[in-house]
Amino acid sequence: MARTVAIVEDDAAIRANYADMLKKHGYQVSTYGDRKAAAAGFRTRLPDLALLDIGLGDEPDGGFTLCRELRAMSAALPIIFLTARDSDFDLVSGLRMGADDYLTKDASMPQLLARISALFRRADLLREPPASEEVLERGALRLDMKRFIATWDGRTVDLTLTEFWLVHSLARFPGHVKDREQLMRDAHIVVDDATITSHVKRIRRKFQAVDAQFAAIDAVYGMGYRWNSGSGS
Amino acid sequence: MSLRVQVVLVALVLAVIPLVGYVHVKQMEKLLREGQEQALLATARAIATALHDRPQLLELRAGQPASGEMRLILQSLSRADSRIWIVDQNQRLLAIAGDLKKPSPPPEPGPLEFAVRLVRPVTNYLLEPPTQDFDDALPEQEIASGPVAASALQGVPSRRWRQSPDSRAVILAASYPVWDGEQVVAAVVAEETTNRIRSVYNRAMEQVVAVTLIAFVLGALTLLFFASRLSTRLRRLRDEAEAAIDSQGRVTRVIAGSAARDEIGDLSRSVSTMLARLAQYTSYLENMAGRLSHELRTPVTVVRSSLENLKLQPLPPDAGVYLARANDGLKRLDTILTRMSEATRLEQLVRKEERERFDAREVVRGCASGYSFGKRFEVDVPETPVWLNGAPDLYAQMLDKLAANAADFSYGGKEAGDEPIRIRLDTRDGHAILTVSNRGPRLPESMAGKLFESMVSVRPSKSGAEPHLGLGLYIVRLIAEFHGGTARAMDREDGSGVVVKVRTPLNSGSGSQ
Repeated sequence: MARTVAIVEDDAAIRANYADMLKKHGYQVSTYGDRKAAAAGFRTRLPDLALLDIGLGDEPDGGFTLCRELRAMSAALPIIFLTARDSDFDLVSGLRMGADDYLTKDASMPQLLARISALFRRADLLREPPASEEVLERGALRLDMKRFIATWDGRTVDLTLTEFWLVHSLARFPGHVKDREQLMRDAHIVVDDATITSHVKRIRRKFQAVDAQFAAIDAVYGMGYRWNSGSGS
Repeated sequence: MSLRVQVVLVALVLAVIPLVGYVHVKQMEKLLREGQEQALLATARAIATALHDRPQLLELRAGQPASGEMRLILQSLSRADSRIWIVDQNQRLLAIAGDLKKPSPPPEPGPLEFAVRLVRPVTNYLLEPPTQDFDDALPEQEIASGPVAASALQGVPSRRWRQSPDSRAVILAASYPVWDGEQVVAAVVAEETTNRIRSVYNRAMEQVVAVTLIAFVLGALTLLFFASRLSTRLRRLRDEAEAAIDSQGRVTRVIAGSAARDEIGDLSRSVSTMLARLAQYTSYLENMAGRLSHELRTPVTVVRSSLENLKLQPLPPDAGVYLARANDGLKRLDTILTRMSEATRLEQLVRKEERERFDAREVVRGCASGYSFGKRFEVDVPETPVWLNGAPDLYAQMLDKLAANAADFSYGGKEAGDEPIRIRLDTRDGHAILTVSNRGPRLPESMAGKLFESMVSVRPSKSGAEPHLGLGLYIVRLIAEFHGGTARAMDREDGSGVVVKVRTPLNSGSGSQ
């Protein structure tokens, strides 16, 4: 049975375009123009994945409210914020509401599709017992490539999809400097350099929350970042 | 001229008070003198009348004072401090009685006694105090040929002011003829000093001076206090208004309008409102880029998603070209949007970025090794570490902008000679100075001081090139300010190019490690 993707977006043209695109890729799509319609729709039938805009019509934070409600209904439902806003503040708020990832609207369709399929894969695997494992281990770091779960010293580090991909890109070849272009490509995003910097900062902070001594990501000024396997193991 | 000085000058209007007082006292003195003249004349007349038609009383007895009856008349009719003498037609002094030297009683203390006493040293200096110590001898010529006596002997009463022989007192003399039948037989002359008037006059003057002084001091102090308050409030308002706008014209803080209900309070409130509006407008302008990029993103998304859908459709063969062009345009739009939001994002980042201690040398060396921009770079850093307190990522971003800027503005190929773009890190006076210098056209003079503002660009508009929004140097300024420093752009001294200097304070911690 086709999976259902719910699109909550107040701009009719974007909504229709995304719906068409997703339909062409074999998803079933339900679209909502405002928060009330979406909330009512979700109560009737929960979608398999939700794409939420933050500003919905008259409600500038309607998407956040919706995300909270959805999380309350299902802890595992993948939620992606897709919005014109790109301030750090919105990003952090969105992720704190329990969204799995956050994309700005200048992200291209392939980037969005990569996330949707990755999140579906993860959702499937979380339901089934682990059959075949694909794991990357670097010292204390363990990346479950199927479920997108990162652990440090056996403790789970709660990364978003984008952050997971960034860590993976860095940790795959420890000691090699990855410039920002490469990181963006690996994480399926197109953003400016400052956003990569703030992503890396957030990742560091998340690891430091688990291990205060964490120092495995080095900044190489003017070049990029490097996974430093020597320390922290 | 300051407001305070002006108000104090206005206080000089009070100077008419002593003038009015002086005129008044003078008037009073004149009246008193007239009164004294009349009284003295009346005394002389009374004595003359008493002697009228009694020639036996006027008989001269050589070597003897006036007879008993004469003495009686003189004593009963004379005034307390007057001297009376009588001369006959032969200018012989027939009788003399009374004394000019009578100490006048001390004046009764008035209501302003304390103030009068306060100003007495001054008034004593200015006013001549009446004295009892004067030569009261009756000079011979006064008897013999004095106009007063002479006039009375002619039958005409008269009066005259004269100085005492030593000029220390003024003496008033009044004369009246003594008749015997149709004939003037003698003249009565009464004399008095003006001491009594003088002391009244002095006293009045002292009081005028005291009152004036008090009024003047009180008035001037009140005005001065008032003027000081006004000028303090105005100065504070000016200082606040000046401090509210920095050299770049941005409103740094809005002053709180004063609650005073007068015109200055009004002015302060309107300045406050004005600044608030200006702040709104400035922040509107500064956020313009971010807002525009936000607003444009939705329509761009519509275009992009439509194009992506279009790609999945079966299309006529030559549609691919147009699709590719549309995609190119879209990519350019995306770059513009990203650049536009970069500054806004950085502003937010700078507000909450954590600071750490880092060696600026490493950042500069690391960054510079990665630069090319089709130009040569030459890097010069000091031997010892340059510790700064801030964010190395931001510092690197700033250097990126400076290098890109220098590369864009340096001459290409032969024109540049073989001169590379120079990046130099130095320490001087507790500051780290980062200099990026390139050979190229001078800065336009009209843009001096504006280069580091949002959306200001001096680039010639070229079509097809990378979009330029004039945010690069604005970002440099933001980061320099984040590090507590300043950014300045200037022409090279020989005019062969441009130098951008970023001056940031060193981290004073353990400076040299």
